[in-house]
Amino acid sequence: MSLTSTGPAAPSSRHVPFRKVLIANRGEIACRIIRTLREMGIAAVAVHHAVEARAQHVRLADEAVELKGDTPVAAHLDVRQIVAAALATGADAIHPGYGFLSENAGFARAVAEAGLVFVGPDAASIALMGDKISARNFADQHGVPVAPSVMPTADLADFVRRAEAIGFPLLIKAAAGGGGKGMSIVRSADELEGAARIASSEAQRYFGDGRVYAELFVERPRHIEVQVFGDGEGGAIHLFERECSVQRRFQKIIEEAPAANLPGALRDEICASAVRLAAAARYRNAGTVEYILGADGRFFFLEMNTRLQVEHPVTEMITGLDLVRLQLEIAAGHGLPFGQDAVVARGHAVECRICAENPERDFLPETGTIQHLAVPEASYLRFENALDRGQKVTADFDPMLAKLVAHGADRTAAIDRSIAALGDLALFGVTTNTDYLARVLDHPAFRAGDLHTGFVVEHRDALAAREPETGRLHAALIAAALGLREFRSLVLDVPEPHASIGAWRN
Amino acid sequence: MTFKIMIDGQVHGVAILARRPHLIVEIGGHRYRVEDLCDGRSGPQSLRIDGQPVAFTRAPGAGGGVDVRLDGRTYEARPFDPAAEAAASGAGSDRVRAPMPGAVVVVHKQAGDAVRRGEAIITIESMKLQMALAAPRDGLLAEVAVREGDVFDKDAVLARLQPAAEER
Repeated sequence: MSLTSTGPAAPSSRHVPFRKVLIANRGEIACRIIRTLREMGIAAVAVHHAVEARAQHVRLADEAVELKGDTPVAAHLDVRQIVAAALATGADAIHPGYGFLSENAGFARAVAEAGLVFVGPDAASIALMGDKISARNFADQHGVPVAPSVMPTADLADFVRRAEAIGFPLLIKAAAGGGGKGMSIVRSADELEGAARIASSEAQRYFGDGRVYAELFVERPRHIEVQVFGDGEGGAIHLFERECSVQRRFQKIIEEAPAANLPGALRDEICASAVRLAAAARYRNAGTVEYILGADGRFFFLEMNTRLQVEHPVTEMITGLDLVRLQLEIAAGHGLPFGQDAVVARGHAVECRICAENPERDFLPETGTIQHLAVPEASYLRFENALDRGQKVTADFDPMLAKLVAHGADRTAAIDRSIAALGDLALFGVTTNTDYLARVLDHPAFRAGDLHTGFVVEHRDALAAREPETGRLHAALIAAALGLREFRSLVLDVPEPHASIGAWRN
Repeated sequence: MTFKIMIDGQVHGVAILARRPHLIVEIGGHRYRVEDLCDGRSGPQSLRIDGQPVAFTRAPGAGGGVDVRLDGRTYEARPFDPAAEAAASGAGSDRVRAPMPGAVVVVHKQAGDAVRRGEAIITIESMKLQMALAAPRDGLLAEVAVREGDVFDKDAVLARLQPAAEER
């Protein structure tokens, strides 16, 4: 299976009028976008901070522009410089990737105002979905289920009164939040007021907006999301769902498509509601509608991400489609290339996010230098990365180093292939979660598809690293010793007569 | 001749019992016949231990050591030199340093408290993540150098254990 395998239509026949596209991103996603641009005969422009002047995305691109900034992240968030770079290099369009400016309505607007094409939705859609409250209200109005909730208010006493009326447990969130900041779960009326006050002050501190809201908290929720594409004129299709229930610190670490053990009728209902939302919003380009799914089969709208997702490869693996190509075609004004009936899912795909972190120390981010990288290769594997030997892994950027994606005929095959590939992956020089991910995949509850967003916490003890078996440890010691010059010379450099009479000489 | 190798903080002795006709080593009371010694290069390698093929990946690691990946597990091995170790680790393992710049969220322990290895001393926030900084070993806290709300740079010493010798 490869990115170029034939999808439902023959997208390559559709001419995209871009000659050059600037990628306002870095790392694996910039490299992945460049790959599709190359296949389509479109030149790629990379942007970078001085600290990553020789990074892989810079080397792969046809040209590169350095962005100035106090920190590398600040450089990648500088709208003015990035638009100027696109104009200076003669790019026709800007692809924002994920993260950074991808969901910044001001950026989308600035790109359009500069006469360039933004590969994504328009600024109004980003703004609508970027605010949790307006997104939720919009979903509610269009028949997409939302969890019972209390709308944000600065009046904490009123907030507490109305929250109590919904019942417990309740989830309190920052209205402008993300990444788990300002979130807490409240299980009784006694805790409510204190939790609301803390969430509000955190929201003020992180987002400059102290409004909080509360909603019914679903116990053992699953995270199900639907990949959608819209033509911007009310037409929309879905490319099935993904399950992203295995998370740590509110961030996904394992994703799969399709979801595990999801009844067909329920899947159809969830996917249809996502399409309804995208169509109602006259949404253009790729988006993801996220839901929480309760054990009772009730599902609620969580949010819509108005960009390509980190985990888009699992959808590509089961549909045979290239999502970046679809994005570029829609951005070029071609509309949707095919109807819903043409999208077919085959087999199962699993993505593991390889992160520089230590699962034994509460997933604390790790730093280091990549000393060696050996990557398993197979037709059913994708290893999405931008890693180089000697590259420093610092706290400058997100700790995600790479994504390992495996496809199989069914879920068990995809899991088995993922575990084998994680075992074969050798990434030395920085502590990663590679072996932890293999333990998650091999856990009986994961294999059974008994997933929920608290999986990592619930199975903490079973997922902890075990002591190696004595035989394996000793084999590793022998392998290590033979890699150490001092040991090798002790073993190998002794002249023959001395070696053979060694025992006599004591 | 015994060669000392440290993995995950544990020191193991690899004793060379014979070099010819086969390499025979003894580790923790177990004897192994080692053949097809591969070469010293980085990358995928294999050798035979007691006649069984063993495949692994090996590359130079930190501190003059090597990293070995075998059966889905990575071992960071380095030669153990007791004299050098005592000089270097004496100071190092007493200190809790900031892994990256950030701010102190909670101070869990105070100077004079007894802590166990792995026990949280301070919770910090860095890169929008909260994380606990743990005691590097069992011991008594000599100093907690920060208070809640303080900001610090990478590698700043945030807490210090009493040197092991002083506790006895």
